Amino acid sequence: MEFKLEAHRIVSISLGKIYNSRVQRGGIKLHKNLLVSLVLRSARQVYLSDPCPGLYLAGPAGIPAPPPQQQPGEPAAGPPAGWGEPPPPVARASWPETEPQPERPSVSHAPRVGDEVPVTTVTGVGDVLQGREADATEAAWSRVERPRQAAAGEAEGPAGGWGVFPEGSLAARRPCGCPLGGEDPPGTPAATPRTACCCAPRPAEDEPPAPPAVCPRKRGAAGVGGGPAGCPAPGSTPLKKPRRNLEQPPSGGEDDDAEEMETGNVANLISIFGSSFSGLLRKSPGGGREEEEGEESGPEAAEPGQICCDKPVLRDMNPWSTAIVAF
Amino acid sequence: AGAGGGGCPAGGNDFQWCFSQVKGAIDEDVAEADIISTVEFNYSGDLLATGDKGGRVVIFQREQENKSRPHSRGEYNVYSTFQSHEPEFDYLKSLEIEEKINKIRWLPQQNAAHFLLSTNDKTIKLWKISERDKRAEGYNLKDEDGRLRDPFRITALRVPILKPMDLMVEASPRRIFANAHTYHINSISVNSDHETYLSADDLRINLWHLEITDRSFNIVDIKPANMEELTEVITAAEFHPHQCNVFVYSSSKGTIRLCDMRSSALCDRHSKFFEEPEDPSSRSFFSEIISSISDVKFSHSGRYMMTRDYLSVKVWDLNMESRPVETHQVHEYLRSKLCSLYENDCIFDKFECCWNGSDSAIMTGSYNNFFRMFDRDTRRDVTLEASRESSKPRASLKPRKVCTGGKRKKDEISVDSLDFNKKILHTAWHPADNVIAVAATNNLYIFQDKIN
Repeated sequence: MEFKLEAHRIVSISLGKIYNSRVQRGGIKLHKNLLVSLVLRSARQVYLSDPCPGLYLAGPAGIPAPPPQQQPGEPAAGPPAGWGEPPPPVARASWPETEPQPERPSVSHAPRVGDEVPVTTVTGVGDVLQGREADATEAAWSRVERPRQAAAGEAEGPAGGWGVFPEGSLAARRPCGCPLGGEDPPGTPAATPRTACCCAPRPAEDEPPAPPAVCPRKRGAAGVGGGPAGCPAPGSTPLKKPRRNLEQPPSGGEDDDAEEMETGNVANLISIFGSSFSGLLRKSPGGGREEEEGEESGPEAAEPGQICCDKPVLRDMNPWSTAIVAF
Repeated sequence: AGAGGGGCPAGGNDFQWCFSQVKGAIDEDVAEADIISTVEFNYSGDLLATGDKGGRVVIFQREQENKSRPHSRGEYNVYSTFQSHEPEFDYLKSLEIEEKINKIRWLPQQNAAHFLLSTNDKTIKLWKISERDKRAEGYNLKDEDGRLRDPFRITALRVPILKPMDLMVEASPRRIFANAHTYHINSISVNSDHETYLSADDLRINLWHLEITDRSFNIVDIKPANMEELTEVITAAEFHPHQCNVFVYSSSKGTIRLCDMRSSALCDRHSKFFEEPEDPSSRSFFSEIISSISDVKFSHSGRYMMTRDYLSVKVWDLNMESRPVETHQVHEYLRSKLCSLYENDCIFDKFECCWNGSDSAIMTGSYNNFFRMFDRDTRRDVTLEASRESSKPRASLKPRKVCTGGKRKKDEISVDSLDFNKKILHTAWHPADNVIAVAATNNLYIFQDKIN
């Protein structure tokens, strides 16, 4: 459990760093953000793999338990392909089924994901974790714990936002049945909430954690200025094209990619956090702002996380907890 | 064999480091612009250049030994100061480009003037530093004040003559190498051919000719087609000191690739790949971060290279790719503090390392203004501190010790008392003598070996 506390803490710290990197002077530092996202991925995997009822809505589709950790030396290693792997079909198929049972403490249904996790990995992680810090987050943890179970269903939503999100799978994700909440918090134009939700059946189970860097794809689809208000419809893949065209110009385009990667993560972050952050985003300083003017409105436009905030229980939680829960 | 010059004591001697000088303000309140971001001796060691976050370059020159002023032997005094880079704004991407000097590299001296390359995140500049000690007087068309004379009033012509003047050191930008890097430049390295140099950013390495600014060759490109698949970035690169076709670059994954430019134009495929297998028992959330290499330096001999990661320095034999031949722990006591160091961003600090002239010793920095030296021959190491307290002229530096647990002895400092804001990231060793320059935030400390 303390691993989970530590992971929880590291996840929130990492998210903060990624967010702050946007406004850093000199532009986004690719190296640092890459390292932060690797830590985020590791922490997230530990966090998700810890036995926690309700986190995984196995459902009848029988999502396999999280992948057995890889060889001890590489618990957090991604597949060689990196961050772009699509979730296995199983995960996708099961999502709709889990959806209808949002409030139910899916304890009984969720696979004991933690069981599959080899002890070695967790222990290895635990060795360097500081119990002291774990204690500090205990209070926050318990606050989160209870509503979390109930919100497990929704938790899956934004969680997916961090998950794999390759272009091609957008369409497949669509039939998530996520209630298109009409309850978007004020100030956040309704858009593509569901994109993130759809990813939720945490593909991480079946494959090494996908770092948030995948987000740019989703973001592009969701928020590009020209795209339709973020409908992750099966035809959403074409939405990416406007973004792609920007990549033609040699150096400018290339930098767009780098910038896009980072802001994509943050955009997801924002969406998960909900309205609490969208205001901050709008006020981003001129010096630190990246070039994607269009995208700037994207993250604000796309509120994938909102769906999860619809549930009353989640609304009572502070944004950070919401985000962590969402993971 | 090491390429150490004269004056360097035989390897294996115990160094007795003494304070020599400190440059920079004593003020507690340090302006960010004054923080030193790079330190580099030139090839002879007579010049010492520093770059700071404000984009300025300050060059110190070593005083000639003077019998009439024996105490100022080998002192470094300010020789030239100039603004190398200014903050810029990339309007296309709405990005500010920092003026911070990331690296300075000297060119070998070929005439009376000195040349150096300085770079910020995006632009490299070649600066010429020259002395002027004569001035022409007696112009016809302008008077001594410089005001133009009315040509119609000139009744006689004279030949201007050169008169001595106070020494003036001028720095002028001779070449500007711009617009070649999409990502942030982390390294520049002058080739042994003295005609070309490389510049490396997170994903690419470019080869330049010193005379040509409008184009460069891209020799390494690790940018994946799909940025989502990015798993590592280039963290440092350096040319081999003797083989002009060979260079190495390090990655954020803790690997080093040696490339040979003769084998192909694009060196995406390495000739040698250096990686030490990870120790699975020390795996943690932060294993990847701490394995990221922050600096790579060839030995003067060209036979070895040294890499610095967060907790250690490793010496590699170029002929053995499977593991380093030496590993020196810099501050292993931080391993249990990685989470806190992650939180306060210290884990991202990029420490540099350097060899002494004979390659018998290596040096790198740490926190609390500590720096570490490792003698490769005697296998001894020492921790020293750059502080104002031990800044009396020619005062010997006392070895410091960090208490890692249990009872703290007198004079030891406990890990929790370390000041992580006082970090020594940049150090330089004179190419021949035992003189070292240590940058501590906004101060530059110069220490000399007593024997020297």
